[in-house]
Amino acid sequence: MSAVATPVAMRRAAAPEDSARADFYALLARLCADAPDRALLAALSAAAPLPADGDPALGEAWRNLVDASSVMDPDAAREEYEALFCGMGKAAVSIYSGFYSGAPSIDHPRVRLQADLASFGLARRGEITEPEDHFAGLFEVMRVLAAGGAGREPAALADQKRFFHSHLDASARKFFAALGTSPKANYYRNVAALGVAVVALESTSFQLD
Amino acid sequence: MKTTRSTNRRNFLLAAGLGGAGVAGALVAGGRKSAAKAGLADAASQPSGYHASEHILKYYKTAKV
Repeated sequence: MSAVATPVAMRRAAAPEDSARADFYALLARLCADAPDRALLAALSAAAPLPADGDPALGEAWRNLVDASSVMDPDAAREEYEALFCGMGKAAVSIYSGFYSGAPSIDHPRVRLQADLASFGLARRGEITEPEDHFAGLFEVMRVLAAGGAGREPAALADQKRFFHSHLDASARKFFAALGTSPKANYYRNVAALGVAVVALESTSFQLD
Repeated sequence: MKTTRSTNRRNFLLAAGLGGAGVAGALVAGGRKSAAKAGLADAASQPSGYHASEHILKYYKTAKV
């Protein structure tokens, strides 16, 4: 009787810091995609603080978001989300990166974005009507690149860095600045502060590689 | 020195507070719906042509006699 070796696909687990990065991206994607519902607010309000000796800006932003989540009502969160990002006519705060990156008529960033997504084997799902430069989608791409998922390995750091600098770094900073100072923002000021801290950490960390 | 730089980056992120398992749990709970909401998918898994969307399946269910 001869043994037959069957190849087994082994998936490399993401490092703890990359899993944490992916989790932050997942949360930012979720909060950009929709207002926090009761379950999310409850999960956030019960979340543990970040280590006291960690990044001060991230720690404070996280603490404030946790505190805000513990007193936020889901209906009020929905009203705020709609007032900020939906509204009639022009939204108070644009949630599309193209708004912040200039979007010239030729070489539109969304065209480059579609090409870059295709190079990763990623695409917008068919039933989704939002364009690819919606920040929820961009953060979701970074989540997948950072930690992989659904049988996908994490992307090479060089690819993560290239995508971040091409499609997120500058525009996300402007987006969170606009969100954090919008008179219609209350709960979402805390989201903006968290976003600023996460993007700043990412930007600095990519300079170390 | 690629290895040294990578270690620096890793140490930087860990020192910043990323990597705490307790936080990750809450974050994952919060971000679980993000993939569905953001609408990201593998291009290879995209159905081509007609396929039963959630809306269509809901219609089928309501149309049952």
